[in-house]
Amino acid sequence: MRPEFSPRGERGGRGSFRGRGSFGDRGGSRGGFGDRGGSRGGFGDRGGSRGGFGDRGGFRGGRGGSFRSPEGGGFRGRGGGRGAPRGRGGFGAGRKVVVEPHRHEGVFICRGKEDALVTKNMAVGESVYGEKRISVEEGETKIEYRAWNPFRSKLAAAILGGVDQIHIKPGAKVMYLGAASGTTVSHVSDIVGPEGLVYAVEFSHRSGRDLLNVAKKRTNIIPIIEDARHPHKYRMLVGMVDVIFADVAQPDQTRIVALNAHNFLKNGGHFVISIKANCIDSTAAPEAVFASEVKKMGAENMKPQEQLTLEPYERDHAIVVGIYRPPAKQKK
Amino acid sequence: MATFRKALKSKQRNHHERAQLSSRNYLGLLEKKKDYKLRATDYHKKQNVLSALRKKAMDKNPDEFYYKMCSSRLEDGEHRANRESWDVEVTEEQKKMMKTQDIKYVEMKRLQDAKKIERMKAELHLLDAKGKEKNKHTFFVDTKKEVQRFDLADHLNTAPELVGRVYNRPTLDTLRTKKIQGATDTRSVEKLAKQRSHQYTILTQRIVRERKLYVIGQKIQTQREIQDKTRKVKVSNETKEAAAVYKFDSKRKR
Repeated sequence: MRPEFSPRGERGGRGSFRGRGSFGDRGGSRGGFGDRGGSRGGFGDRGGSRGGFGDRGGFRGGRGGSFRSPEGGGFRGRGGGRGAPRGRGGFGAGRKVVVEPHRHEGVFICRGKEDALVTKNMAVGESVYGEKRISVEEGETKIEYRAWNPFRSKLAAAILGGVDQIHIKPGAKVMYLGAASGTTVSHVSDIVGPEGLVYAVEFSHRSGRDLLNVAKKRTNIIPIIEDARHPHKYRMLVGMVDVIFADVAQPDQTRIVALNAHNFLKNGGHFVISIKANCIDSTAAPEAVFASEVKKMGAENMKPQEQLTLEPYERDHAIVVGIYRPPAKQKK
Repeated sequence: MATFRKALKSKQRNHHERAQLSSRNYLGLLEKKKDYKLRATDYHKKQNVLSALRKKAMDKNPDEFYYKMCSSRLEDGEHRANRESWDVEVTEEQKKMMKTQDIKYVEMKRLQDAKKIERMKAELHLLDAKGKEKNKHTFFVDTKKEVQRFDLADHLNTAPELVGRVYNRPTLDTLRTKKIQGATDTRSVEKLAKQRSHQYTILTQRIVRERKLYVIGQKIQTQREIQDKTRKVKVSNETKEAAAVYKFDSKRKR
């Protein structure tokens, strides 16, 4: 909220109108000092029509007083930065929202006029792909969040679908296969924060260019423009990771993930794979495709723990979450 | 002196028109000067028009010639325009052109809606929207015993009453340590919920309209294409949801 903008102390929450209110008010007070507009305003206070008249008089006084002042500069100086760029975008300045922490650390749910999954923006003031931003003020500190569209991101869809674990959390080292333009990657980078790392692998040069631009603003993203089928090509760049996220939409994607897991994933690390049934086998039933993929994972020492379909955000998609080389079970 | 007179006027009571007496309340509200004025001007305007027309009719010379008579005629004393002479020749080509323009307009409107839907969807994520498609969540466990013992709330490490709240089931730890930010008082929460549901209504309407426009566009397109002279067979009839489908004879084009 912006207290400097509330001359009448009423009407909460409408930032944009307030500027004008203050403007009128100021004029009124000037009018009171005997110039014409002001004296008209003064006469207005008879009967019941006080508010309206007084206001109008005030407004006029303001116009005469401030716009035509030879000094000129007075208007901006006292207007409380009415036209000044506020660097605030998205959901609107100071509008009211409720932000509740999500099950997964680093993710939030923002409920106001909008109904959105959000992450805390690491690069404040920047939108990556034109997504909405929202800033919430808690006392002194101002936190900016970015909306994370589940219709575009499989990971966001899985989170809203109620997945148990994503294993991507603050401080985690994540390998992201199929980073594309870096839209989801930017949110993953928000989640892992400055302590974490995201190795974003993308084959296509064209979308890789956008990915590089995202990585410029976010120091915890390491972009790798290589084929994920050949992990030896980027083995020098990547250290051990805690979790692999894959959204590659290739028929052999389980093999691709397994290859990378063998190279970079720590024992007991996790994988999150998004499966598009159409890309694996467009003739078989989606359920059957998911089952066969899960079976393939078992053969690669990857143990699936849960599977989640992504309705209503995506059709015939599933997310499989599991553990790589699980620690041996202790006997009781 | 004028100042004093004006100042005195400020002390005067304003004139108020009489309201309906309570004993005559059953007759409805009492008409005020303002209302009477509207009614009267309207009445007089109509009367003036009528008298003007009447005068014109009386002044008319039945033997007079007007060129309009060539392209119109009287039927039972009523004036009828001769439509055929008005009808403009529209060639096939022009008809096709007009259809194309129609299609373009409909398509433009549809794209506008589609774009707006996209923008709205970016911030309305159907968190607890009613009637949304249900997804399927499978957990893999090792033994049959675990299947029998399986308790969702326990497995997800959350409070049992939150199990149905799929979009966010905070863990017990989160519930203990984190807190909700922003406007949390009941009044603003209710207000926001109302605004939100309004947004969803708008979104639904737009989606419906986008779909309708799509169907309309398809139908016009079909109409345009069947003007083509090539032989074709109707495969399916037009329905509310889809345009008719025709199968055209394949023709070699140079």
